[in-house]
Amino acid sequence: MTEHRWLDDAAAWALGTLDEAERAAFEAHLADCELCRSAVQEYGAVTRLLDRMKPAAPPPGLRERIVAEAARTRPGASPSAGRRWVSLAMAATLAAIVLGSLWVRERQARRRGEDALAAADRSLLDTRAALAERDSLLATFAGPDVRTATLVTTGAGPAVRLFWNRSMSRIVIAASGLPTAPAGRTYQLWGIAQGSNPVSLGTFDPGTDGRATLALNVPPGMDFALAAVSEEPAGGSPQPTTTPILAGAWRASE
Amino acid sequence: MPHLVQESDRTDEVLISRMAAGDERALGALYDRHGGAAFAVAHAVTGDAADAEEAVTDAFMQVWRGASTFDAARGTVQAWLITIARSRALDRVRTVSRRRRLLESAAAGDAEGLATPLSSPGEQPDRAPERAETAVLVRRSLEALPAEQRRVVELAYFGGLSHSEIAAALEEPLGTVKTRARSALEKLRAWLQPLMTETG
Repeated sequence: MTEHRWLDDAAAWALGTLDEAERAAFEAHLADCELCRSAVQEYGAVTRLLDRMKPAAPPPGLRERIVAEAARTRPGASPSAGRRWVSLAMAATLAAIVLGSLWVRERQARRRGEDALAAADRSLLDTRAALAERDSLLATFAGPDVRTATLVTTGAGPAVRLFWNRSMSRIVIAASGLPTAPAGRTYQLWGIAQGSNPVSLGTFDPGTDGRATLALNVPPGMDFALAAVSEEPAGGSPQPTTTPILAGAWRASE
Repeated sequence: MPHLVQESDRTDEVLISRMAAGDERALGALYDRHGGAAFAVAHAVTGDAADAEEAVTDAFMQVWRGASTFDAARGTVQAWLITIARSRALDRVRTVSRRRRLLESAAAGDAEGLATPLSSPGEQPDRAPERAETAVLVRRSLEALPAEQRRVVELAYFGGLSHSEIAAALEEPLGTVKTRARSALEKLRAWLQPLMTETG
C-alpha cells in the first residue's frame, strides 16, 4: 500500500478512535479519496474479525464483588486478604506430582469465597495467644487422631516435622536447619486438600539457631492431603506467591 | 462512535474524587461506565473470562486505593483504568501460561476444562465452533504483533480509548500511536486474509 498521509486516520476511523473533529475531517476527505475508501474497507474487515474476540459482557455479580471488596478496603489501605488460587480441575490427581510446580505467583488473584481464608487469618490471631502456652504443645503430640508430615526438600537442607492433632484442630511445627528469612520475609505453612486451594495455616520464623517449634490452629473440618512451606512477605500472604521450599504428605501417626 | 470527551471526563473525575473520599458507590458508578471496556481489554489479553474477571477486579481495586493520586493532567480516568486493567491482565497471562504449561506437560492429552471457547448469548449453536476457531486465529494473530502495536489495538479497540488518550497514557507522540495502529491493522489484514469474506 502506497504511503498516503490520511491512511493513519483511515485505520483510526476503523478502530473508532478519532475524536469528533478528526472524524469529521477524515469523513470529508473520504468522500473524495478512493484510496482511503478502499483502506477503510480493508481495515473494517480486520476490526470485524477483532469483534470475534470481544466478550459478550462482564460476568454477572462482578460489579457487586468489586464494590463489596472496596467497602472492606478504604483507599490507601493495603489489599484485603481475599485472594483466589485459581482452581485446577485436575489438581486432585496431579497434586502429588506437580505440587511444587503449581505454586505460581498469584498476587493478582482474588477470591470470591473468602470465608476459609478469613477463618485461617483468625486462627492465626488465635495462634499468637496460644503460643504463650507452650505446655499445650505436648498435648498436641499425643492422641488417637494425630497425623504427622515430614516436609523435605531435595538434597541437604532444612527439615520440618509437623504434628497435626485433628481432635484439637492444631498443628505443631518442629523445624530445624531453616535459614533466617530475608528482611521483610517470613515462612508460611500451607495445608492443601485434594482439589482445593492451599489454606494458610500461619507464619513462623526460626530463631538464630535455625529452629522453630510452635503451634498453629487449623480451621476445623479440614482434610489436608499435603502440607508445604513457602517464603512470603512479612505477615504472610493470602495465597502462596513463591515456590514452596518444603512439601510433604500427611500420614497417620505410628 | 462519538467521543464526548469533556463531559465524560468531568463525570469520571467527580467519581474519582468521591472514591478518594471513600465512597464505594462512586466505584460502582465508575464500573457501570467503564467495566465493560475494562473487561473487554482484559479478555482480549487473557482470552479467558475468569482471568479477565480477576484482572478487572484487581484494576478497580488499584484505582480505588489510588484514587487520591489521580492526576487529570496526566490523562483521563478511563485511560488510567484501562491501562491498569491491561497491565493486570498481562500479569495474569504470565502466571496462567506458566501454570498451563506445567499442567499440560504433567497431563498431556487431558486438558479438558482449560480451554475457554468464546461464545456469546443468542448465537446460533451450530455457528459456535466455527466462531470459536476464528476467535483463536484472531487471538494468535494479535499476539503475534509487535508488542507496541498490540498494545495500541487492545487499548483502542477493546478498551475504547481514543488515540489521543493512548498517546497521553503511553507518553508517546500521537502520530506514532496512529501509525502503530495502522501497521497493526495491515499486518492483521495480511495474516487473516483467508478468514475474510465478501459479506464480512
